[in-house]
Amino acid sequence: MITRQLSISAPIFILIYGVQEVIVNQFRLPGGGFSIFFIFALVWAILSTPEVAAFSGFASGFLMDLSPSTSGPIGHWTLIMVASSYVISYLGSGNENVKGNPVGVTFFISSAVFFTEFVFVISGALLGVQTGSFGQVLFTIFGISLWTLVITPICLPVFSLLHDIALDTRSKI
Amino acid sequence: MRYGGEGRSRLLLIVLIVSALFLITLDLRGVGVLEGARQGTQTILSPFQRAGSVVLTPIKNFFSDVTHLGRTRNQIEKLRTDNAKLRATLLNRKNADAQLLQLKSILDLAGTAGYKVVNARVISQGSSQSFSQTITIDAGTTAGIKKNMTVVAENGIAGVVKEAYSHTSLIMLATDPAFKIGVRIAGTQQIGILSGRGSRSASLQLLDNQTTVRVGDVLLSRGSVANRPFVPGVPVGYVTAVDNSAGAIAQSATVHLYTNFATLGVVAIVVGASSVNPGDALIPQKPQPTPIPTVTIYVTPSPTPTN
Repeated sequence: MITRQLSISAPIFILIYGVQEVIVNQFRLPGGGFSIFFIFALVWAILSTPEVAAFSGFASGFLMDLSPSTSGPIGHWTLIMVASSYVISYLGSGNENVKGNPVGVTFFISSAVFFTEFVFVISGALLGVQTGSFGQVLFTIFGISLWTLVITPICLPVFSLLHDIALDTRSKI
Repeated sequence: MRYGGEGRSRLLLIVLIVSALFLITLDLRGVGVLEGARQGTQTILSPFQRAGSVVLTPIKNFFSDVTHLGRTRNQIEKLRTDNAKLRATLLNRKNADAQLLQLKSILDLAGTAGYKVVNARVISQGSSQSFSQTITIDAGTTAGIKKNMTVVAENGIAGVVKEAYSHTSLIMLATDPAFKIGVRIAGTQQIGILSGRGSRSASLQLLDNQTTVRVGDVLLSRGSVANRPFVPGVPVGYVTAVDNSAGAIAQSATVHLYTNFATLGVVAIVVGASSVNPGDALIPQKPQPTPIPTVTIYVTPSPTPTN
């Protein structure tokens, strides 16, 4: 069962990662733009159990670390995404106001992006990653969160369907 | 209990967090395998990024036009009058012409300074989720590019080579918060350190507290040992504001960078510099206002009224 789930999930993660690196990264959008892979990883986490979310967070974080444009040491995003995915899944589990409602998921994901980026900046400062002035960082975090608010409802049905196919959890939104 | 097997779930979480911390430790200690993994990813992605750049150029142009709608309104009005075929041709030509113009300016700059350059096209913009400002170009070690080489654009410095792969390179832009360059003020030769701030304005910190800086002063790169990472004499930007706060150890200023990073399509990597410092020869010319001819017409009324 796990082998089947992994063999379906892994290509999906790599495909979305490829879309992010090859297509989305071509555009320099105002306000920092968005990361479709980041949104995908968080949607996947919210639809999964905390165990699966932590594991998928590890995989997605590692892929984000492999991106050549990522600043900071390898493992930084992995750490952040493991924690973030677990917390998101834990908070969302059993709460149908969040999981069963696309609007709830959208706002939950946007808030999660905001806090995850914020934690990334704080932990990055401890690891010596330079992220720029406070104002610029705040502007970028708000920008990415707003973009997430716009993009998530568009992608949510697809991501939800992919999650349903891969993990067969009947959690389609 | 919210979720069955919570103990197992927490154990898995701890194992994954420890693994992530292990990865961070390995990377900070400089283990080559992890750096190789990032290089491998770039090697795999680069052909797709190159293809994506070609395919998505019209869409990028469209988004660029939307972003600059206010400024290009007149141009859009003019284009509306053209037929669809001409518009499509113009869109493709516009991109090629802009890149050609950028390339010509870069070659002029490099030629004046006697730099040996390798030209490259931007194939990907870095993601800003990590607050870094990078681009990927379609030339790498096979073209003679190495890590820590100066990257110039049409009007001045664009950044520095952060990583060089076989057929692509990752460029840290001058706007990156981690970017730092030694600069001197043209004319007075005062020196300082310029740091990126995430936008087109950078901050300058003078090294000597006895010296002063004025609005409008032009900054040039000071150069590094063996011309790496920076060759001397490349225009960087000009001072737009001076911070005169009392009690500061040295004067600081805000600098507007010459390079327009939003329209960066072609860049050049300086792979060799002449032994002679170009000095202030590369400072961009200030735009000269075009004189408006005045025509005075004298009208003499005719002596007899006309019906």
